[in-house]
Amino acid sequence: MSHLLDRLNFLSRKNTGTFSGGHGVTTNESRDWEDAYRKRWQHDKIVRSTHGANCTGSCSWKIYVKGGIVTWETQQTDYPRTRPDLPNHEPRGCSRGASYSWYMYSANRVKYPLIRSRLLRLWRAERTVKTPIGAWAAIQEDPVKRAEYIRVRGLGGFVRASWDEVNEIIAAANAYTARKWGPDRVIGFSPIPAMSMVSYAAGSRYLSLLGGVCMSFYDWYCDLPPASPMTWGEQTDVPESADWYNSGFLILWGSNVPQTRTPDAHFYTEVRYKGAKSVVVSPDYSEAAKFSDMWLHPKQGTDAALAMAMGHVILREFHLDRQAEYFEDYCRRYTDMPMLVRLVRKDGHYVPDRQIRASDFKDKLGEKNNPEWKTVAIDRNTGKLVAPQGSVGFRWGEQGKWNLEQKDGKGRDIDLEMSLIMDDAHDEVAPVAFPYFGNREHDHFQGTDHDSVLVRSVPAKKVKLADGEALVATVFDLFVANYGLDRGLEDGTTARSFDENLPYTPAWAEKITGVPKDQIITVAREFARNAEKTHGRSMVILGAGLNHWYHMDMNYRGIINLLVMCGCIGQSGGGWSHYVGQEKLRPQTGWLPLAFALDWSRPPRQMNSTSFFYAHTDQWRYETLKVDEILSPTAPEGPWDGTLIDYNIRAERMGWLPSAPQLKTNPLEVAKAAAEAKKEPKDYVAEQLKSGGLQMSCEDPDDEANWPRNLFVWRSNLLGSSGKGHEYFLKHLLGTSHGLLGRDLGEEGRERAREAAWHDEAPDGKLDLLVTLDFRMSTTCVYSDIVLPTATWYEKNDLNTSDMHPFIHPLTGAADPAWEARSDWEIFKGIARKFSEVAPEILGVEKDVVLVPILHDTPGELAQPLDVKDWKKGEIDPLPGKTMPAVAVVERDYPNLYKRFTALGPLMDTLGNGGKGISWNTEHEVDLLGRLNGLVTEEGATKGRPRIETDVDAAEVILSLAPETNGEVAVKAWEALSKNTGRDHTHLAIPKEDEKIRFRDVVAQPRKIISSPTWSGIESEKVCYNAGYTNVHELIPWRTLTGRQQLYQDHLWMRAFGEGFCVYRPPIDTKTINPVIEAKSGGRPSVVLNFITPHQKWGIHSTYSDNLMMLTLNRGGPVVWISETDAKTASIVDNDWVEVFNANGAIVARAVVSQRMKEGTIYMYHAQEKIVNTPGSQITGQRGGIHNSVTRAITKPTHMIGGYAQQSYGFNYYGTVGSNRDEFVVVHKLDKVDWMEGPYRGHAGQKEAAE
Amino acid sequence: MNRILKVISVLLSYPDETQRSTLPEIGPALAAAATLGARYRTLLQKLADDIAACDLYDAQERYVLLFDRTRTLSLHLFEHVHGESRDRGQAMVDLLGMYEADGFGVGARELPDYLPLFLEFLAVKPATEAAELLGQTAHILAALHQRLRKRGSIYANAFAVLEALAAGKPDARLVQELLGIAEDDPADLEALDKIWEEEVVTFGGNAGENACGPDRLQRQYRAYTRKPSNPDITASHQGETR
Repeated sequence: MSHLLDRLNFLSRKNTGTFSGGHGVTTNESRDWEDAYRKRWQHDKIVRSTHGANCTGSCSWKIYVKGGIVTWETQQTDYPRTRPDLPNHEPRGCSRGASYSWYMYSANRVKYPLIRSRLLRLWRAERTVKTPIGAWAAIQEDPVKRAEYIRVRGLGGFVRASWDEVNEIIAAANAYTARKWGPDRVIGFSPIPAMSMVSYAAGSRYLSLLGGVCMSFYDWYCDLPPASPMTWGEQTDVPESADWYNSGFLILWGSNVPQTRTPDAHFYTEVRYKGAKSVVVSPDYSEAAKFSDMWLHPKQGTDAALAMAMGHVILREFHLDRQAEYFEDYCRRYTDMPMLVRLVRKDGHYVPDRQIRASDFKDKLGEKNNPEWKTVAIDRNTGKLVAPQGSVGFRWGEQGKWNLEQKDGKGRDIDLEMSLIMDDAHDEVAPVAFPYFGNREHDHFQGTDHDSVLVRSVPAKKVKLADGEALVATVFDLFVANYGLDRGLEDGTTARSFDENLPYTPAWAEKITGVPKDQIITVAREFARNAEKTHGRSMVILGAGLNHWYHMDMNYRGIINLLVMCGCIGQSGGGWSHYVGQEKLRPQTGWLPLAFALDWSRPPRQMNSTSFFYAHTDQWRYETLKVDEILSPTAPEGPWDGTLIDYNIRAERMGWLPSAPQLKTNPLEVAKAAAEAKKEPKDYVAEQLKSGGLQMSCEDPDDEANWPRNLFVWRSNLLGSSGKGHEYFLKHLLGTSHGLLGRDLGEEGRERAREAAWHDEAPDGKLDLLVTLDFRMSTTCVYSDIVLPTATWYEKNDLNTSDMHPFIHPLTGAADPAWEARSDWEIFKGIARKFSEVAPEILGVEKDVVLVPILHDTPGELAQPLDVKDWKKGEIDPLPGKTMPAVAVVERDYPNLYKRFTALGPLMDTLGNGGKGISWNTEHEVDLLGRLNGLVTEEGATKGRPRIETDVDAAEVILSLAPETNGEVAVKAWEALSKNTGRDHTHLAIPKEDEKIRFRDVVAQPRKIISSPTWSGIESEKVCYNAGYTNVHELIPWRTLTGRQQLYQDHLWMRAFGEGFCVYRPPIDTKTINPVIEAKSGGRPSVVLNFITPHQKWGIHSTYSDNLMMLTLNRGGPVVWISETDAKTASIVDNDWVEVFNANGAIVARAVVSQRMKEGTIYMYHAQEKIVNTPGSQITGQRGGIHNSVTRAITKPTHMIGGYAQQSYGFNYYGTVGSNRDEFVVVHKLDKVDWMEGPYRGHAGQKEAAE
Repeated sequence: MNRILKVISVLLSYPDETQRSTLPEIGPALAAAATLGARYRTLLQKLADDIAACDLYDAQERYVLLFDRTRTLSLHLFEHVHGESRDRGQAMVDLLGMYEADGFGVGARELPDYLPLFLEFLAVKPATEAAELLGQTAHILAALHQRLRKRGSIYANAFAVLEALAAGKPDARLVQELLGIAEDDPADLEALDKIWEEEVVTFGGNAGENACGPDRLQRQYRAYTRKPSNPDITASHQGETR
């Protein structure tokens, strides 16, 4: 080494000296930056909170506060340790969560109550001479005045107003609406209560006391997988993320764990070190794909084909050629595979009909209670037909036999026969028809040319029924035939080898999906082999990637079938892990009374949002999907005419789905009319509906008497992120400028609805008032009439739970809400107080007639067992709760609404509490709450009741009433369930009987919840939370028709639409790309692509993406991702501005051209905001839309089914869903970027906007 | 009390009834303020007259649009210094400490860095100290001044006066940096577009320091405008490697 060369000649070091023998250097740099770190630790206090985003994180954070100002936060690391061998949960929390806390002091924060100045002007002018109600009436009853402010929604023009004033306007609007049109015209939308359940409850409690309508979110977001209620009678119940660590084989199917489940992803990484194998199924090379041992990339939307082929392999190798003992035993006990299905003649062969019931037999198999709800199988020991315990008929009207013990209704031991394949077991081999949809024409999806009807041989047996001899087959035999497996019965349409091109072989699937058949066979075989060896430790994590397709049920049921045939459901480390936005509200039964004011009046009004928005944003007027395009070629005879909204209307009037508004007549008037007619309200309503004296609102959604009038949006960005059919919202619901490109059915001259009244002129602007509560100026705020500033996640007290871990977590007020912000609880309390002041002018104690659909988990779910009959067509009489919605009368005490809001009502003492079909007494808890929260001492309607004054009081109500957080209640709940099942389950909670978790406890440390019958998994020292665990290990039936995992869906509408069994159905043709639309490209190079909207990395889940930090990590505004090949076709290069459009609307965004994208798809990550850097679209002449601008909700008739065991309605449980992945768009380069800023020069209002 | 600073504090407050009732007092107050040049008095008088002449709702709409909703015109000083970075909380704590040291607390529901609040505090301080403290924010005032002027907003007048009242000249480099931040300005389309450009990711050398402040965008902007013929811009930036 040369000293000369090492010496610096021209440069000098900044270091000024050395110490420690040259090992340390002294520098002369400024060390000011260290102050920041020193000061960081000079806090006054540390508060525990979390981020109530809808990301399912529920991560624990430490918030540092000094002088009342939040200075920073770090991840908290004090989760209780679960048990040996399991990795710790912490640290939880991701960069996104950390960055979002700064909304608190951001310039984006909504600081004061804001109101549209045009509305405020009108209000003040009227208010000087009129009462609040009079003032609101004066504005609403003058079309010019009303138009004055609704036409400028979304165009700025806000001014600040005082809380007192905005509360008065809102209260007056609500009271006026209740009196004039009906309280069910006041609507509220708020999603995912689990993320901040007290805040949710604040609004829903107010609405429920008012008689207003709470809207569902889970189905509307299309995160609800209807396949789950169909199969298990449960909305969604999944293993916690720690259970991934118990798995031996993990398939991530359309789910992107590292990107969208960041705090949980470590369990996925860790289990791979333990030797678990991982397969990722995703069309694009996603972040998760990097972690996989094998990456399958099927064409988007063809997942069902892949799942069916895998099922084909597993059935062949583990059920037919060799019977894996564990699998067979599991299927016999826990699935409907042994149940018998009637076969009926149609077009020269048979089609599977409904499952036969005890009532089909002359002697009803000895069953007196609900025989038409008890399914039938063959006992192997005796060869006799038996009605095994556990079916839904045993659940209601009798006790002690609703369990999965291998016994029949008489208590005799039985052993069910799964297959009639043995020569002596069947009487004949029946040719049975199965529908095939894979041959339907689609411009962008590869099909095969197999027949629409595939006739396959099924072993069948003759049985003598009350109405004569019938042919029956087991679900298992039909199931196997449906998968196209040859069993030596010679039909030519089933396959012996995996290489034959017949549905559903791997060779066939390769054609549809593009996945090589060898890969399909390998994955299926290894998945099943692992499950066999480990008794079910194979798991599928699946997500929105599959569930957002129109035929999502097929994707899901295809996968559920795999899990069930391998015995993975209910087994630790196995199962169905659907993590799409539901966020488990763990203390659900404690929360329900608070949230829906069940302590004061029952039932509340609840509505499924998809059907609501489909009707009231008039998307139905533009429907392009015809019923015959989705009807099965094997459909039984039936009224399969009309358009999609007709099915929804039929469903509403048959009591299947809820309605909102409910009746064209104000429900406050209906009770009076019934009293005048001296009739019971329910008889009066039934009679008047039949005669036409009363009309259901759903039959004429465009009549002004049926419009929703006031809409509250809180904890949600309805218009910015979840409004499928955004432009339809703008046009019809809000009545403001929009970018709708398509024409309605009237203009197009297409077939119109049969049940829904048609108005040539559709209404523009149904809403009188849109109120949004938020802490940032979101897209929804921009379109609102009144914006109320709410507290952020560090400024309020609340509770937060997740399906990803078993802890209950608080949000805690670290600082007072900044500026004029208030917590949601305080806001709705304030509105309630004002309402009670304002309303007595026109409202007193009123009787409100409420229509309730037939509800799941109630005795009413046994409503329509064998057939579908429509009273409107005279097929049957309208019987409330049986053939039409139930009719209830609820007393509303409007002057005392505020008092009721702030006290726990007496129904808790008299009716108790419960959930999911069981109930218990709550005297102890009410007493406890009185002592915890104090009693109301003021004279009046609520004197002596426990107070619910503050958000902490509200949290205590939840925690005290819920079995998950009050051990005493848990024991009571298990006792109640034990009566139904005849088996003692209390051992699951007795060790925790004295444990009562209070709000301050969870503030001190997140607490693990107590096992409760509300959920099908348990919290224990031995296993992680796993859904279906108590069904398998405690023999508690699933809440389905058969009480088992229901693989055959036998409702008439399921069969009519070809989904009795799982089949492959290609995406639908939404017809939003047509020559007219394509011509808008004006000869520019363009490309037609499938529009996909996954969850992103640069926003908190689906909520926020206008954060500066997140924007700088991405490209700073809306982007779409396309493949290199497609970009080339349309002459697009990376970072070009592109226009993305179809008949529904247009989007303007930057293009990211990437190799990871699959050809034929375009990704626009969810919820990019219109308020950030969005230029104008040349096509619409409006600002470029959001990701929902090119979508439109399309409903599916099978999701409307009701009154039928597990297929009965429940809020956020079942119903139509807002699918959006079947949509195609045209993409071309934008040649002119127009930012469209500047003052509004629109209508002839008095004054233009500022400057 | 320094009436001029108080007048500006009032003028920059939300134009509600309270402000409106104060407006008539502004004329006499200005007339009495002999220390302020005539030109500056006129500027403030014009702003006061404009607000007074405006329909109340229009004035409010204008204020909400400008100051409540436009990030780059925010009247919260630290929005421009710390943006959404973690240093912002501590900076507010420090400012609060300064008020407290003088025996004041924040009596309104506002953050300590709200400009009208800050001005009110300065109004009760001795003139030299006020000018000095105001001088520390001179670059922000200058930037807001220019932005408002570019929009043709009369509110620019208030900032012209504030600039004059502040001790010393604003640091041109700091002003330039602030102005480098892409504005949510409708007219300046090019500026809007430029912040989209990707920049090279760098590691080490305190790259994460203040990484989420508003200068993040400045850096991006600079990365875009950097040309080989103009090496100064990079060189001047704290020796960061690019």
